[in-house]
Amino acid sequence: MTAFRPAIIVAKDEPGWLPGVVIGLRPSAKQICLMCFLLAASLVLCAGCARHKSSAPATVVISVWHPWGGAQKERLAEVIKEFNRTHKDFQVRAVFTPNDLDSNQKFFTSVAADMPPDATFVDGPQVAAWAEQGAIQPLDSFIKASGIKPSDYFPPCWAQNTYRGKVWAMTYCADPNFAFAWNKKVFRDCGLDPEKPPTTIEELDLMNDRITKIDHGRIVRIGIIPWLQFGNANAMFTWGWAFRGSFFDPKTQRVTADDPNAVNALEWMVSYAKKFDVTRINGFAAGFGSRDQNPFYTGQIAMGCLHISQLDDIKQYAPDLDYGLTFLPAPAGGEEHSSWVGGWCLAIPKGSKHPKEAWEFLRWCCRDPKGTQAVGRLQSLLPGYRKSPYIEEVRSKPGYDQFLRIMEECRHQRPVMPAQSFYMGSLDRAVDYAVYGRMSCKEALSKATKETQSELDLRLAGR
Amino acid sequence: MKTKTKRSTTERQNLRNGLLFCSPAIIGLATFTLYPVLASLYYSFCNYPMLKPPVWVGLANYHTLFHDPVFYKSLSNTAYYAVLATPLGIITAFFMALLLNQKVKGMAIFRTMFFVPSIVPMVAGVVLWLWLLKSDNGLINIILGAMHLPTPGWMSDPLWSKPALILMSIWGVGGWMLIYLAGLQDVPIDLYEAAEIDGASPMQRMLHITIPFLSPHLFFTLIMGFIGAMGYFTQAFVMTSGKGGPVDSTRFFSLYLFQNAFMYWKMGYACAMAWILFILVLLFTLFLFKTSARFVHYGGER
Repeated sequence: MTAFRPAIIVAKDEPGWLPGVVIGLRPSAKQICLMCFLLAASLVLCAGCARHKSSAPATVVISVWHPWGGAQKERLAEVIKEFNRTHKDFQVRAVFTPNDLDSNQKFFTSVAADMPPDATFVDGPQVAAWAEQGAIQPLDSFIKASGIKPSDYFPPCWAQNTYRGKVWAMTYCADPNFAFAWNKKVFRDCGLDPEKPPTTIEELDLMNDRITKIDHGRIVRIGIIPWLQFGNANAMFTWGWAFRGSFFDPKTQRVTADDPNAVNALEWMVSYAKKFDVTRINGFAAGFGSRDQNPFYTGQIAMGCLHISQLDDIKQYAPDLDYGLTFLPAPAGGEEHSSWVGGWCLAIPKGSKHPKEAWEFLRWCCRDPKGTQAVGRLQSLLPGYRKSPYIEEVRSKPGYDQFLRIMEECRHQRPVMPAQSFYMGSLDRAVDYAVYGRMSCKEALSKATKETQSELDLRLAGR
Repeated sequence: MKTKTKRSTTERQNLRNGLLFCSPAIIGLATFTLYPVLASLYYSFCNYPMLKPPVWVGLANYHTLFHDPVFYKSLSNTAYYAVLATPLGIITAFFMALLLNQKVKGMAIFRTMFFVPSIVPMVAGVVLWLWLLKSDNGLINIILGAMHLPTPGWMSDPLWSKPALILMSIWGVGGWMLIYLAGLQDVPIDLYEAAEIDGASPMQRMLHITIPFLSPHLFFTLIMGFIGAMGYFTQAFVMTSGKGGPVDSTRFFSLYLFQNAFMYWKMGYACAMAWILFILVLLFTLFLFKTSARFVHYGGER
């Protein structure tokens, strides 16, 4: 900046001031104008930089990337405000970075460019993949120093964040996937006892037959669409575990989607596709939005899995919906009260400029009694920290209490492995091929197993 | 002699100045186009999961690709779309242009009406069509049902999902229509008059005057349409939430490429796919040039 200033002064009385460009020539008026303009522009830029530097706050501000838009964004802002109020030595700034569940190009690019955020949210099932990729750093030394024990958390939460013997993320919210919801009004209309949801798959099938109404080949109302539970792959996991299926053996690193019980689960799902013509069902379900036009909210689908975030949605979009929540039904000999954990975690990216501060934010949100309480109260999310005072508050919070009961019995997490998103894609297609009758259930799941295994082997070999 | 050297210095100066003035474009092109293109060629021979350095694996990606059934499926989906959507779009746009070239009252309004869909943002248009194509109570099926015609499942039926996308593509041919309309207005009226005096029927006038005069425009849209169709992505991505279902029926080449690159982090594999697509598009474009060029007239010249 100072280097430029005398140049202008020189330019005023000595025309040949710019060596190498206009040596010995008298610059024309146009050239002088251009130069002045360029100089002015660079001065403005420099001034901008300088001002930015001088006004930089004395306290450190760390950035956290989060995936929430809409109402949750506002609520997260409240959480951050609470954190900043209680922390004077540094401050947190939340940055909304739309985050597809299984990929986050922006985040990866920032890590590759060595300019990552100081902390980031990560979809729980993706933790292992991000760890394997080298996008996030292990937290063990921090965890040890803070005296955090695995038993502080719901077991599947901790298991999900542990990969290759290290812990890579902290559970911000534990989403028990899923609660089983039924529409009491539809039950009443169909002559079913509205207080008796199905507890077994057999009962579910019978109730579905009572509820489903087809008019001139058009589906008016259906009991349940087994494969449309938050996508094919999530449905496969949900029912698969309820049928006592298994998907992955972490000891041998084998993909096991062709497990006979998982095949049985898929067979059951496909039986609905055969009964009602899959094109009709998918056509019926397509185009519904997830919110105000959610077919469960409108009574067009009477039963199904419900995610914890939908409790709020229903309050907003379908306040008069008369529904109940219970555990997932299971087949005879299946796993009762089956569920698996989802939800968001917090991690520290590789190359984070303020790992200590970032850790304090993680610890406060995910383990601190006050912090987890704030997250729970403000965002209506269930903390993974099972001794959080908020957990006791939830016990008397209608709707949420059922989710807590599910969480307390939760046994599963999606396979902790680096090819997780590939596995999801593979299962998604397997279910698609099976319900459309293009492949037998066994064939489809064997294919998914084979291709995921080779993808996993490739990832593990690339270490 | 003296003038010659002087001129060459001027020439050299001009060259230098010219290059200096072009340099932003040249540097930009080299950094943001040439480098990525060459890098993608290199990565296509590597195992490259983005955050780790690429590891040379030779032809392994290409080898896997040629044994990947989804690769062939996505290729055939893309071919299906390109072969049907491009000519259909050209024919529709051509007839729309013919209609909109008539001297009718309020023509400006009609022209605007037909052109407007092509300036609707793509994603917004697709969401609109998602509603129109709903198999249950979408507008299209309601109309078909009222006429006692079969009501296909469209996006929920693997047989109808690609036709649904082709139908949707017809909606956005306003841009091509505009090109033809401009071409039509360049056709000399005296040619039509002469032909009419000679007793040429409207069909003959169309075949021997209109189409030859429009042939450069038709050829241009054919090439551009074909290249565009080979890279067909956004609509399928939005329509199927990035999945390409049902049963892979709308998993187009570019969609599969995107999935590999940005969902499964198989950047090397995706680069190999991109190069295969590039070579295919190049070959087909050359083929089109060789076979179609003799039907193209440039104001009497071929």
